[in-house]
Amino acid sequence: MGVKKILLACSSGMSTSILVTKMQQYVKSIGDEAEIWAVGQDQAKAEMAKADVVLIGPQMSFLKSELQKEADKYDVKVDVIDMVAYGMADGKKVYEQALRLMGENQ
Amino acid sequence: MNEANIDVLTDEQIGFQLILHSGNARSKVLEALRQSRQGDEARAAALLKEAEEDLNRAHHIHFQMIQREASDEKIEFSLILMHAEDHLMSTLTMKELVKELIEWGKQRL
Repeated sequence: MGVKKILLACSSGMSTSILVTKMQQYVKSIGDEAEIWAVGQDQAKAEMAKADVVLIGPQMSFLKSELQKEADKYDVKVDVIDMVAYGMADGKKVYEQALRLMGENQ
Repeated sequence: MNEANIDVLTDEQIGFQLILHSGNARSKVLEALRQSRQGDEARAAALLKEAEEDLNRAHHIHFQMIQREASDEKIEFSLILMHAEDHLMSTLTMKELVKELIEWGKQRL
């Protein structure tokens, strides 16, 4: 697999933008390569075709099945960010969750 | 999730905790409305109850922040904190409206 592409989405893309920075810091620290970006909920569908995996904030979990239906067209997995990882703004844990979803167990 | 003690959290994590619990509540409130619309009132009521428990967790964090400020300990202002407050307040409004909408829906049956 080439550069991993991870899309984060939350209602306005704000909290996940902070998470993106934390994840990128972790990715850099382990010498990995990944493209990670955040969008608000209205853009999630438009952006998901470019991603390998989509992670959404807890405030969007009610949209998961709707988003997964769209993501199925591109064979992309959608999941809600782990609550503990989200609540602690833990970039490492969220990145590891993304890798698991992509089937790349570290 | 256990009730968080804000003394062990960074300011940023406090914001994330508020968004997490309000966010969980928000998702459950909207799901409750959907369930009610599909006729499953028991599930709708259970989801609303769970949402209130999530909101209590958010309030518990909020209360600690207010106590901190009241004891003259300065709370650092940030956009993420303002955003978290926005999440909490909008979810509270949403919950009250959804409760009314569900009752309204039942009357129209």
